[in-house]
Amino acid sequence: MIKSVVATSLTSAILLFSQSVPAQSEPTHWPDTLQQAKGQTVYFNAWGGADNINNYIQWAADRIQDDYQVTLKHVKLTDTADAVNRVLAEKAAGKDQQGSIDLIWINGENFRAMKDNQLLFGPFSQSLPNYQNYVDENARQSLTQDFGTPVEGMESPWGMAQVIFMYDTANLSNPPKSMAQLLAHARANPGRITYPEPPQFLGSTFLKQALYELSPYRKALAQPVDQVDFEKITAPLWTYLDQLHQVAWRSGQTFPSSSEEMMRLLDDQEIDIALSFDISAASVQIDQGNLAETVRSYVFTGGTIGNTHFLAIPYNSSATAGAQVVANFLLSPEAQIRKQTPTVWGDLSVLAYHKLSSADQQKFDDLPRGIATLTIEELGQTLPEPHSSWVGALETEWRKRYAN
Amino acid sequence: MPSKFRQMATGLICLLLLLPILAGLVGTLLPAFQYFPPLGEEDFSLTAWQSLFAQPEFFASLKLTLITGIVSPMLALWLALALLAWCYGKPFFRTIENLLAPILAIPHAAIAIGLVFLLSPSGWLVRLFSPWLTGFDRPPNWISVQDPYGLSLILALVIKEMPYLLFVMLACMNSIRAGDTLQACQTLGYGRFTAWRKVLIPQLYPLIRLPLFIVISFSLTVVDLALIIGPNTPSTLAVTLFRWFNDPALTMRFNASAGAVLLMLVIILVLAGWEVSHRILSKLTRAERSDGKRHGMTDSLLTCGAALACMCLGLAVWALLILPLWSLTKRWRFPDALPSQWTLDNLERAAPLLMELTQNTLFIALVSTLFACLISLVMLEIKRSAQTTSKHTKHHAFDSLIYVPILLPQIGFLFGLHVLLIHLDWNGSLSAVTALHLLYVLPYVYLTLKNPYLAYPQAYLEQANRLNQRSLQNYLCIKLAMLKPALFTAFAIGFAVSIAQYLPTLIAGEGRYSTLTTEAVTRAASGDRKQVGSMALLQTLFPIIVFWLAMTLPPRWSKWRLILKTRCKATFQSVISLLRKRTSRA
Repeated sequence: MIKSVVATSLTSAILLFSQSVPAQSEPTHWPDTLQQAKGQTVYFNAWGGADNINNYIQWAADRIQDDYQVTLKHVKLTDTADAVNRVLAEKAAGKDQQGSIDLIWINGENFRAMKDNQLLFGPFSQSLPNYQNYVDENARQSLTQDFGTPVEGMESPWGMAQVIFMYDTANLSNPPKSMAQLLAHARANPGRITYPEPPQFLGSTFLKQALYELSPYRKALAQPVDQVDFEKITAPLWTYLDQLHQVAWRSGQTFPSSSEEMMRLLDDQEIDIALSFDISAASVQIDQGNLAETVRSYVFTGGTIGNTHFLAIPYNSSATAGAQVVANFLLSPEAQIRKQTPTVWGDLSVLAYHKLSSADQQKFDDLPRGIATLTIEELGQTLPEPHSSWVGALETEWRKRYAN
Repeated sequence: MPSKFRQMATGLICLLLLLPILAGLVGTLLPAFQYFPPLGEEDFSLTAWQSLFAQPEFFASLKLTLITGIVSPMLALWLALALLAWCYGKPFFRTIENLLAPILAIPHAAIAIGLVFLLSPSGWLVRLFSPWLTGFDRPPNWISVQDPYGLSLILALVIKEMPYLLFVMLACMNSIRAGDTLQACQTLGYGRFTAWRKVLIPQLYPLIRLPLFIVISFSLTVVDLALIIGPNTPSTLAVTLFRWFNDPALTMRFNASAGAVLLMLVIILVLAGWEVSHRILSKLTRAERSDGKRHGMTDSLLTCGAALACMCLGLAVWALLILPLWSLTKRWRFPDALPSQWTLDNLERAAPLLMELTQNTLFIALVSTLFACLISLVMLEIKRSAQTTSKHTKHHAFDSLIYVPILLPQIGFLFGLHVLLIHLDWNGSLSAVTALHLLYVLPYVYLTLKNPYLAYPQAYLEQANRLNQRSLQNYLCIKLAMLKPALFTAFAIGFAVSIAQYLPTLIAGEGRYSTLTTEAVTRAASGDRKQVGSMALLQTLFPIIVFWLAMTLPPRWSKWRLILKTRCKATFQSVISLLRKRTSRA
C-alpha cells in the first residue's frame, strides 16, 4: 500500500515536471532517436586549434559512423563565439530550421548568451542514456551550474578542466604557490611573470583566481555581479595587478594572447610560469617537442578554478537526433576513457566513478599518466567558477584600467 | 559594341556589385542605430554611439589606428618610390623584381609570425648573438614587438605594402615610358634622383593613386596582421571591433556596428586628407620642379629611402626563411642559433589535410579570379569605347562602386552579407564562397588592369581590324596578347588576394569549406610555430607559383609559342609526308 502511494506520487511528480518543461522535449524514446538519426550529418562546431583534440574528434566521427550511421563533420573554430554569431545571424535571417550548426562545444558566457536569447534546442541532456547511467549531478557543482547559469538539460557535459601552472624545474626549484608568492617572485625576477590578456578566457580566469585569493568576500562571487558591491569586492585585485604589472613581462604593456603562447614563451625562457586549463597540457607539449623534458605542472596550495565544458544543440539544428546520438556517444565510458588518456587528450572525465562498471573503473585506473600530469589528488581543491556575469564585468574593468 | 548593350552590361554588373554591398551596409548601419530584431531591439536610437564614445579603449584604439594607418602607407610609398628610382633599369633590379613575388604572395599572418620570431627578445636575431656576444643566458625583458606605439606593426605593414606598390609601379613603367624619359633627362644633365623626382614621379603618382588608396584603407582596417604583431592594450580599432563583434555579450555588437560605421568615415576622411595634402604639396613644389636645377637637397630623401627599402626587403626575406626552418624543427630553444633537433613530423602531420584544402583553395581562387578578369575586361572595354565616342570622359558609377568592398571594413560589412546569404538560402556552399571572393578579388584585378588597359595604343587593334575583319580574333590575338604582362599581373594579384581571404571564406562557407588560409589562421591561434610554419609554407606555395609564372611567362610567351608552333608544324608536315609516301607506295 505504502509502496503504491509512493509510486503514484512519484509518477504524478514526474508527470508534473514533464509538463512544466517546454513541449520540445516530449519524452522521446531513445530507439526512435537512434532511428531518426540514421543517415544524418552532424556539423560539430568545435575549437580546432590543437591537433590531439582534432584527432580525437576524428576518432569519434569514425566510431559514430560505424555504430550509428551518423556522419560527424568537425567544423574547426578559432573562437566559439563565431558559432554563436552564426546562429544569431541565422535567427536574424529567419532561418529557424535547417541551420548550419548541429552541435557546439560550449560553456560559460557563450552558453549564457545562447540560453538567454533562446538559441538552444532542448532540454535534452538528461534523457541521454549515458547521462542517466553514468553522470552524477551531485558530484560537482559545475555539472549543473555552468558559470552560475543553470544548465537545465540544455547542454550535455563533455569534460572537465582545471587551472594548472607549468614551470621548468631546470630554471626554478620552488615555484610560487599563491598569488602573494607570485608577486614576490615577479619582484625578485622582473619580467618573468605574466598572464594571458583578458578577455581571453584563461586571462579572465586568472583574474577570477586572483580575486578568490585576494578578496575577503568570496561568497559574493557566486551572486550576479549587479547584486553586489563590485568596487569594494574587486579593490584588492586592482591594487595587486597595479603592483604586478610594474614587474611583469614586458612591463605589463603587452600580454600573451593564449595558453599556447604562454607555453611558447616558457619554452623560449622569456617567462617562468605558464598557465593552462588543460591538466595534461605539459605532458602533451613535451611529447611534441614544444616544451623541455624538465617542465612540470602544479596547482596553488589554496586550490585553483575548475569548470565543466559541454555540448549544446542550436534551436535550428537540422539534425537534432544525430546531435543527441553524438552527445550520448561522447558520454560513453569508452569515449571518456579514451579522452582521458594523456597521449590522446588527457581531459578529465565527467562520469561518476562509482556509477561505472568495475571493468570500466579498472580501465580508468589503468590509464597511464603523462610525465608532467598531476593526479586527481594532486590537483587538490577545485574552486568553483564565479557567476558568469563576473566575467564580463572583470574584463570591462580590466580593459578600462590597463588597455588604453 | 552597341551602346544599348553597353548600358545594359554596365547596369547589370553594377547591380550585381551593388546588391551585396547594400545588404552589407544595411546589416551594419541598422545595428549601429540600435535596430536589430533578433536581439529584440526594434527602436532606432543613438545608444550604440553613446556607449561607443564612452568606451575608454575607443579613443586610444582610434589614435593607434590613425598613427599606424597613415604612417605605414607613407613610409611604404616613400620606400617603394626610392627603391624604384634608385635601381630601375639597373641589372641587379631583376633580383629585387624576383624577390617581390614571394613577398607579395606570402600571407600577412605568416610574415607577421616570421617577424615576431625574428625580432622578439627571444627571437632569432638575439639567439644568433647570444650568449657569446650579448651575455644573455635568458632573453632580455625588451618590448621589441607588439610595442605600445605600434612600431612593429608599422614595420610589418610597410614590409607587406611596399612590394605591392613596387609591383604596381612596375606595371606602369611602360605607360610613362620611364626608360626613355630617364635617358633624356640624364642627357640633359639631371641627376638620376632629380629626374625621378621632377619628371617621373609626378607622372607616376596619378597612375598608382588607386592602389595607394587601397593600401591606406588596408592599413587602417587590417585585422590578422594587427592581431599578431600589433599592440593589444589597446589594439587597433579594427581589432577592437573584431573583438566586440565576437563578444559573448551580444549587445557589444551594437558598439561594434557603430564603430564599423565610424571606421568607414575615418577611411573617407583620411583618403580625402591624403588627396588634399598631395595637391597642396604638388602646388608647393611646382616651382622647384621647373627651376632647372640639375640636383637638389631632397634627392637625399630618395637615397635614404632606397637604403631603408633594401633593409626592409632583407628583413622580409629573412622572416620568410624562418617558415621552412620551423616546419622542420623538433626542438629549437633559446639561445640556440639553429634547431637542435630536426624532424619531418610537422609536415607529415599536415599532409593528409593538404589534398582537400588544396582542392578548395585552388577552385575558389581560380574561378573567382577568372571571373574577375572577364568582368574587368568587359567593364574596361565599355569604359574605353565610351571614352572614344564622347569627347568628355564619362565617369562610370562602376568606377566608384568598385572601391566599396575594399574600403568598407570587412568585419562590419560581412555580417550583413551573411544575413543576406542565409535569406537566399545560399550560405555554406562553395559557390557562395567563390562569389564572395569575387567581390574582393574584382576590385584588385580591375584596378591593376585599368591603367595599362586604358593606356593601350588602340591604333594597333584598329590597324589589325583594317587588315583582317575578324574583330574578336584580333581583339584576342592582338590586343590581349599585347596586354599579356598586365593581364598576368592582374591575375596573379587576384589569385593572391583570393588565397589570403580569411573572413569571407569563413562567413560564406560557414566553416564547412576550409582553405589553406582558414586552416593556417586556426592553427596560428595555437601559437605553435612548427605548425604555423608548415601550414604557411603550403599556403604560400601556390601564389608563389602563379606570381612566378606571371613574371616569367609574358616575356617568353611568343618565343615558346613559336617554338611549339614550328615544332608542331614540322611534326605535322613530316607525318603528312610520311603518309603521302605510304599512300604513293600503296
